[in-house]
Amino acid sequence: MTPIQRPPSSNPSPITHHPSPSVTVELFGVPRLLVGARSVAATGATLADLAMDLIRQSPALAGRVLDAITGWPLDGYSFVVDEQFTRDRNLPLPPGTSVLLVASAAGG
Amino acid sequence: MISTIGGVHGRLLRVELRDNGGAGWTEPLEPAVFSDVIGGIGLASLLLLRLCPPGADPLGPDNPLIFATSPFAGTGITTSSKIAVAARSPQTGMIGDSLSSSYLALELKRTGHDALAITGTAPEWSVLVVEDGTTHLIPADGLLGLSAGETAERLRAKLGTAFRVAAIGPAGERGVRYAAIANDGRLAGRTGAGAVMGAKRLKAIAVRGSRLPRAADPRAVAALARDLAERSVGPATAKYREIGTVANVAFFNRMGMLPTRNFAGGHFAEAEAISGETLRLEHHTGRHACAACTVGCEHHYRTRDGGPETSARLEYETLFALGSLCGVSDPNVVLRASALCDELGMDAISAGGTIAWAMECRERGIDLGVPAEEIPRWGDGAALLRTLGQIGTREGIGDLLAEGSRAAAERVGQSSEEWAMHVKGLELPGYDPRKLKTLALGLAVAARGACHNRSSAYEVDLSDRLDPEVDARARAAAAAAAEDQAALLDSLTLCKFLRHALGDVHEESAALHRAVTGLPTTVDDLHAAGARIGEVKKRFNLAQGWTRALDTLPPRLLQSESSGDGSPIDPIWLDRQIDAYYAARGWDTEGRPRERERREAVATSSLRSALAQRAT
Repeated sequence: MTPIQRPPSSNPSPITHHPSPSVTVELFGVPRLLVGARSVAATGATLADLAMDLIRQSPALAGRVLDAITGWPLDGYSFVVDEQFTRDRNLPLPPGTSVLLVASAAGG
Repeated sequence: MISTIGGVHGRLLRVELRDNGGAGWTEPLEPAVFSDVIGGIGLASLLLLRLCPPGADPLGPDNPLIFATSPFAGTGITTSSKIAVAARSPQTGMIGDSLSSSYLALELKRTGHDALAITGTAPEWSVLVVEDGTTHLIPADGLLGLSAGETAERLRAKLGTAFRVAAIGPAGERGVRYAAIANDGRLAGRTGAGAVMGAKRLKAIAVRGSRLPRAADPRAVAALARDLAERSVGPATAKYREIGTVANVAFFNRMGMLPTRNFAGGHFAEAEAISGETLRLEHHTGRHACAACTVGCEHHYRTRDGGPETSARLEYETLFALGSLCGVSDPNVVLRASALCDELGMDAISAGGTIAWAMECRERGIDLGVPAEEIPRWGDGAALLRTLGQIGTREGIGDLLAEGSRAAAERVGQSSEEWAMHVKGLELPGYDPRKLKTLALGLAVAARGACHNRSSAYEVDLSDRLDPEVDARARAAAAAAAEDQAALLDSLTLCKFLRHALGDVHEESAALHRAVTGLPTTVDDLHAAGARIGEVKKRFNLAQGWTRALDTLPPRLLQSESSGDGSPIDPIWLDRQIDAYYAARGWDTEGRPRERERREAVATSSLRSALAQRAT
């Protein structure tokens, strides 16, 4: 069996900092009315990070749509990531991810 | 007789309309009824099973028209002032049931009865007056042709403003099969109860009473009600207060599930023009609440196009059915169309669904028996309004469309059944089953036909509760659980908009039920009640000729050729889901309750009694 070759260590790469990708969060219903825009840009490597940044970017959402401290959606609101409803705070958000902030749909 | 349990009278008011004017009398409702099927929709369904003979003509004298309240009505528990209406549906031939909010429920309960059942036919157009324990008919002089709202206004001016009125509009008078019954500005809209009332020659029912029953533990009820009321105005219901259900339009469109042009697709290019956000900013005039409701979800809007000013209330279902489904993008037209449906007294979902079918017929060159130019085209707002008026008066093309899309397509033929978008004759609501797979199952098996409110399975799809690729068994269990919870809420007559405000629906409902009735109700009891109510409806449908073939979806959703931009549903997949649903219910492979389960698991004294006493 061929041993796994380690990369040469004599010339290590410098440590680089990759900023979290910017994600466009599309807003619907009450979030859109409160912010006064159809979308906002926020950054975060995970959904929880994104929520934190969202509350910083859009303080109008605090306490009404998102928790004022954590930024996480209050009962009745949800994130939809790549067309799936999710409450997974650790969900990674690679570039190009689609994120919506919506009210939970019910009735009519 | 005084009921042995709290919150109810234990009495049913029976009225038989006859040539000589009719008769009214009271029958006892055994206490077990209020634990077995709770009240509201459950009670109305049980009474219908008992009183409606198999094969009764939905527009004939034997079809009972039933109004039922719940133990919670009149207790101050938020949103509980709702009345259930049931009859054999003239639109589907199956169970027809609707809920309507506001004061009528309180007033009926004040008469000393929990429910009212009307059979027979009045000798002439009449108003049934119920005042405490008495009933009599008065002529409907000067009321014919009026809207339900105008009728109520005139009757209250004549009889006194303490009376509350349920009335039909012109559509009910003319037997439009999806005519509604209206009270206090609200409608029992779906499945055509207004046509049943019209067939009995009842223009209106005026009700006044003076005594509500006592709750078993009034202090506990007050404390629980106060707590729930406080939570009912938090973030969980903010959507309903701040924008309303119309908010669904933009989001559903973004997700590709906004039914457009008779379900040809799920994306409406002009959706923003009729979105809830646009309506809120440009047309909103105010917000109202039903009696005993702290949520206050009813939004009112005004036209703003320089034409005749019209005010209307609007919900998502009205907006999609009279908007994107018909290709209409002018919010002023949708507002006028909504107001017209209310004025004529008919269900906007079925009206829009049937007109959308006609629009597609025109596009495909189908002969509807009238000149093609009389059939509206996609997006033609003026023609939409004209056609709604014709339906309400059964003039021109309106006479055919007043039958609903299923019956109209059967009459017209020419393969037009392929794009009649209904289940069991009831037009689909504004949720595209091609994108919402649990709802696809829920709509296929729902007892009253394509109804999102009775199925509620869209909640499963629009959440992270279920993996989209889950197996049939898990999906069936989720659909059944959603349906049972909906049946429970409709029977407690708690608004579904409270769902997210309730920590645990069954736990909190059990606590409320114990405090109101004094019965030792448990969470398990309420789970069983939800399932039992479903079985009552199924048994009614079986008696009226239901077979498994009726548990399906429209061909357009199942076939690739005409399914537009939504992925079609595989019919084999759907069959497998239905098999699993029947198994989850403990029913046989043909969807019939097994006798053993009936005896041992679901059947109760009140159900046995209903089956034994069933009219023949």
